[in-house]
Amino acid sequence: MSEADHSSAYRREFLAEVEREVEGGTWVKMCMQCGVCAGSCPFGPHWEHSPQKIFMMIRAGQREAVLRSESMWLCTSCYNCVVRCPRQLPVTHIMHGLASYAQKLGLAPKLQATRDFSLQFWENCTRTGRVNEMRLTLGLYFREGLVAGFKQAWAMRTVAWGLLRAGRLNPAELVGGHRCADANGIKAMLAKAREIEARRKAQHGH
Amino acid sequence: MSEIKTAAVLCTGCGIGEALDLKELARIAQKEGKIGVLREDPQACSAASVAALHAEIQEQGLTHLLIAGCSRRAKTEAFNFPGLALARCNWREGVLWSVPEGENAPELRQEMAADYLRMGCAELKKLKLPQANPKAAGNRRILVLGGGASGLTAALAAADMGHEAVIVEIAPQLGGWAAQWWRRTPWRAPYAVPQPTGIDELVRRAADHPLLRCHLGATVLETRGAPGRFSVDIATADQGQITEEVGAIIQATGFTPYPIERLPELGGGMSPWVIDQAGLESLARASDGAPIRRGDGRPVRTVVFIQCAGQRDATGRHLAYCSGHCCATSVKQAMYFKAAQSDVDTVVLYTDLRLPGMGEDFYRSAQTQGVTFVKGEAKAVTPQGEGLRVAFRDLILDTDSAVEADLVVLATGQVPRSGTDIDLPEEERAVAAANSVLKLAYRQGPDLPQLKYGFTDSHFICFPYETRRTGIYSAGPVRRPMDLAQAMEDATGAALKAIQAVESAAQGRALHPRSGDLSYPMVRLEGCTQCKRCTVECPFGAIDEDENRYPVFNESRCRRCGTCMGACPVRVISFENYSVDTVGSQIKSIDMPDEFSEKPRVLVLACENDAYPALDTAAMQGRRYSAFVRVIPVRCLGSVNTIWITDALNGGWDGVMLLGCKKGEDYQCHFVRGSEMAAYRLSKIEDTLKQMGLEPERVATYEVAITDVERLPRLIDEYVAKMFEIGMSPMKGFA
Amino acid sequence: MNAIATNQTLLVIGGGISGMSAALEAAECGAEVVLVERNASLGGRTAQIYRYFPKLCHPLCGLEINLRRLRANPRVRVLTLAEVTEVSGRRGNYRVQVKLAPRYVNERCTACGECAKVVTRTIPNPYNQGLDTIKAAYLPHALAHPQRYVLDASLLGSPEAEAARAACPVGAIDLQMGVETIELSVGSIIWATGWKPYDAVKIQPYGYGRYLDVVTSVEFERLADPRGPTRGRILRPSNGEPATNIAFIQCAGSRDENHLRHCSRVCCMVSLKQTQYLREAAPEGAQATVYYIDIRAIDRFENFYQQVRADARVKFLKSKVARIVHNAQSGQLVLHGVDTEGYHRYAREHDLVVLAVGMEPETNGLDLPEDLIRDASGFIEGSSDGGQFGAGGAAAPLDVNRAVQSATAAALRALQVTRAAARAEELKG
Repeated sequence: MSEADHSSAYRREFLAEVEREVEGGTWVKMCMQCGVCAGSCPFGPHWEHSPQKIFMMIRAGQREAVLRSESMWLCTSCYNCVVRCPRQLPVTHIMHGLASYAQKLGLAPKLQATRDFSLQFWENCTRTGRVNEMRLTLGLYFREGLVAGFKQAWAMRTVAWGLLRAGRLNPAELVGGHRCADANGIKAMLAKAREIEARRKAQHGH
Repeated sequence: MSEIKTAAVLCTGCGIGEALDLKELARIAQKEGKIGVLREDPQACSAASVAALHAEIQEQGLTHLLIAGCSRRAKTEAFNFPGLALARCNWREGVLWSVPEGENAPELRQEMAADYLRMGCAELKKLKLPQANPKAAGNRRILVLGGGASGLTAALAAADMGHEAVIVEIAPQLGGWAAQWWRRTPWRAPYAVPQPTGIDELVRRAADHPLLRCHLGATVLETRGAPGRFSVDIATADQGQITEEVGAIIQATGFTPYPIERLPELGGGMSPWVIDQAGLESLARASDGAPIRRGDGRPVRTVVFIQCAGQRDATGRHLAYCSGHCCATSVKQAMYFKAAQSDVDTVVLYTDLRLPGMGEDFYRSAQTQGVTFVKGEAKAVTPQGEGLRVAFRDLILDTDSAVEADLVVLATGQVPRSGTDIDLPEEERAVAAANSVLKLAYRQGPDLPQLKYGFTDSHFICFPYETRRTGIYSAGPVRRPMDLAQAMEDATGAALKAIQAVESAAQGRALHPRSGDLSYPMVRLEGCTQCKRCTVECPFGAIDEDENRYPVFNESRCRRCGTCMGACPVRVISFENYSVDTVGSQIKSIDMPDEFSEKPRVLVLACENDAYPALDTAAMQGRRYSAFVRVIPVRCLGSVNTIWITDALNGGWDGVMLLGCKKGEDYQCHFVRGSEMAAYRLSKIEDTLKQMGLEPERVATYEVAITDVERLPRLIDEYVAKMFEIGMSPMKGFA
Repeated sequence: MNAIATNQTLLVIGGGISGMSAALEAAECGAEVVLVERNASLGGRTAQIYRYFPKLCHPLCGLEINLRRLRANPRVRVLTLAEVTEVSGRRGNYRVQVKLAPRYVNERCTACGECAKVVTRTIPNPYNQGLDTIKAAYLPHALAHPQRYVLDASLLGSPEAEAARAACPVGAIDLQMGVETIELSVGSIIWATGWKPYDAVKIQPYGYGRYLDVVTSVEFERLADPRGPTRGRILRPSNGEPATNIAFIQCAGSRDENHLRHCSRVCCMVSLKQTQYLREAAPEGAQATVYYIDIRAIDRFENFYQQVRADARVKFLKSKVARIVHNAQSGQLVLHGVDTEGYHRYAREHDLVVLAVGMEPETNGLDLPEDLIRDASGFIEGSSDGGQFGAGGAAAPLDVNRAVQSATAAALRALQVTRAAARAEELKG
């Protein structure tokens, strides 16, 4: 959005979109800008926009800046903000909701660590019903390319060695790996969950 | 004058009997004080003693009673003798508990107690039993100036109490601003959505009430008189003139909105699509619940409310204050749009959102309905296409930003319709007098004195209704910026005060703060020199002047502070129980030690509401102060006549301390100008001192608060030490 | 006792500034009034306020005026140590049970203080919020009305009680006093029961009750007052050193759905006022920082806000403080939060933190007559039969000025009820 064009600034389009598409999105309008969420967040020093500021950006119609932001990906679900918010906003849920919506739209920042981890974890564990730690770990190490992957693996070698000795890491997992008894059942469950979610969205917005 | 029959009870309780030589004191009361009936009592306040006293009063036909014992502020329930002139002599707090311990304490205590007894006896004989204002008038009708929500509420409240009420309204119809509104801010649970104004119902009740009359399209031509007997000339709509006789007046003349034309930078007067809150009410009424359209018929898709427009202004160009209601009003108005069409964009630009109390629920409700709140500072409103562009600083995002809108509402403030500022310089006042609302035929000007920013509010935090014109109360936004609910609450309270004023006036009693006081100012006109000091200095505008420039006392306007008595250079003004004599005779009554005794005498004239209780409290807490002072409580420092000071100095007193309340902008004198007047008069006394060959330090004024319990004894001791330093008064022995 | 009250009598419950005002305003219109106060003396919370905003004048000045009015007016009957336990009947004709707690000192008392001289036992001083102690035989405060001592019940049965009794030169101490219950008939009732500070312990992240140097605004008022526990010196409770860098945290409990859902209205002005106490108490130059969401200096109080803004020693930060941590090394309290104007994270050290605690109705948690109408926060709007009224802090979070205004309005409404009862009586007669 350029400085000169304010035709959509402080209009309800983006807020309405957030209310429609984002889990907890209907709460965004209830923020009173006290900032207690921002001050309560253990990751505060690391992100660009605090929750309260993101809520203001949504009201200001800054769609791109919000959805492309890395900030909401940093939420660790500690719920400090939720218990302290004087308006009882489910801040944690809204952060995850925004992240998930940005991901869905393909606007989420590439190579954002939390996002990559989430994606890999999801893909990894829904395939067999169990987490394949070997693949998950290496997948994360090599997400930024071969050289970076080797570097990171090398840096973690003593930890890996310890895990191997303790029987907590099985190199064989790299090729085969175990699965849960009814992997198809898991998939069916997930499909059902998606169906329910879609139905609910059709009915209530989200 | 009827015969005086005096008696004195010398209480020996609370350690008095042990600390003082009562025999000697009794002799003083008899020989010097010439007290008729005298007795000691081991506890004068005991039920038995009080009963015995009542019997004695009956049997012996006593008219005057002196009780020597505790402070006049103690045991008041016991020493309550209606129909009797009563004086109290403060031995307990004033002597026993305040004279410093030491070798010569018994001697100093005895001297001090003896002097206080002499002073008590002297005062007693000068006291007259107050007989109430003989010119008391009992008109119980109440006139309400203004027929808006405040005025209607006040008039109905009075009428429901059985008082006739008369409304004078300048407009051709009742209802005021609120009648032009679409809805009002909710004032009770649930604080969720705008509510019907209810004004129609008020107007209907007013029209139907058998005790209520209205003059519409009418203005006041002149207001004369005093509580219980005001005459108000009214110009009626048909060019006629009538006079209403009433007992009290409520000024509920409301406000005008600050003109948006003064805010061109915010588009005021520059675009028809920039309106004020009243303008929006009209649009909302016109659309009658349908989506709101602008004057050109264009539906409003985006509306921006700019809070504090022309308010909270530090530049001096606009209103410096906050009008209090405008945040809630904008919230309410944003809801008008949302109620008709939920997808209209409503943006409220604010710096501090001010919705106190349950207003928080209303704020939440607006958020739920999708009203957007932006903490931002509006910079400029300019036309853009068919609409407007509002440039502002978003204070949260810390960026310059803008929003486009079809309509901009400026939340401007309330300007009180309070009439003339009587404190303006004389030449400006004449011009301003044309705007007068009350048109009081008072010596001190035609309208209520204003507190700040033109509002006719009380200066007193504890006493919000106390204006400086007795029997005239102000209510609603003319008193203080406020919303409809507050105005109606305020008007209800004002109605009570007006009723109280007429009841008190009928009985010739004083109103606040000396409520119930039956004494009233009396003047010996044959001695008057027409100097006009009393008419100018009266803080309550109670004294007018006749055609020969003699003062005309309006007793029921008087608050009994005695400022006139203090002002009078020829001492012709007095109260029955408080006069130049009641105090002057005390000053002259003491036993003055000679120059070589090294026993200075310092007269302390102390405000009875603050300095005197502070001294009592200090004594109760065991804080001691010099035994060389003699304290006389005064109604107000403004009542101190300089003759008391010159008499004291001539009589050999070494110094005079005057203890009054804080003066200046945040004055704490509950008679408004008393301590200021005292300071002014004393600034002139230096010449007199010079003529007498006395040092200027011999007279000193201090501002003392009721809480100065530690400071006051220190001040006294320091002052007495200074008297030792400059030496005993050379005037001793000449009296 | 019944004789003093009829259905033309007005009952005022609560003897603070609102109750006193309602009682006096009505009585000065000619009404008979019974004023019931739970504590041993009148004045309520205003007697514990050091100075009022915006004039910085002293509440005791107005209290003295009201006491004078009261002493001069035989129409007001005052009952202290009295609590209303039951209200029955309806508009124009209520029957009210009042429980009178023993004072152990009768009306013979001259307030000479001899009893206190022989008593050594001390109790937490309610006047100073329990921040110091007083003798168990005491006068509640300097302007206590009635001006009579109180013997604390904890003395009972001890030799000191006997000693106090023996020391009284006028036989005012009566150790046999017990609880008494009386019944009043009244025509209308004003609830001027006031407010209480929100329990700050419940605001867990601020550490009140854990950190000694976190105090409430109500306690700070006592610290600043020369009659208070520190004689007006603003000292850190942890070590008795003068506080030089004070934080004021607004909305401590207010505007918060986890605590009080309403805005308490006065707290902004209270904190602004309290920053100015530093000029007197710490002339050597203490700093203050006000952490706020919106400064609510309404109507002409804006002027006071601007004056404080201009004070170089007072900073303003738009932020709801997230939490307070104690720095064991420096002994300071570290406030964590975000300045929302532009998003600036801070961790600022202070040596004293004042929580501007919210107001809730004193009656919250008590059994009240069922037909009283109360809002979501418990403030009293009135009664369904139209014969009972809320006034002052019992009706809404109000400052003193507005509380008195509210009490005056309530007095008129109550008078309308009793006058109507009187007229009905006349018609019958």
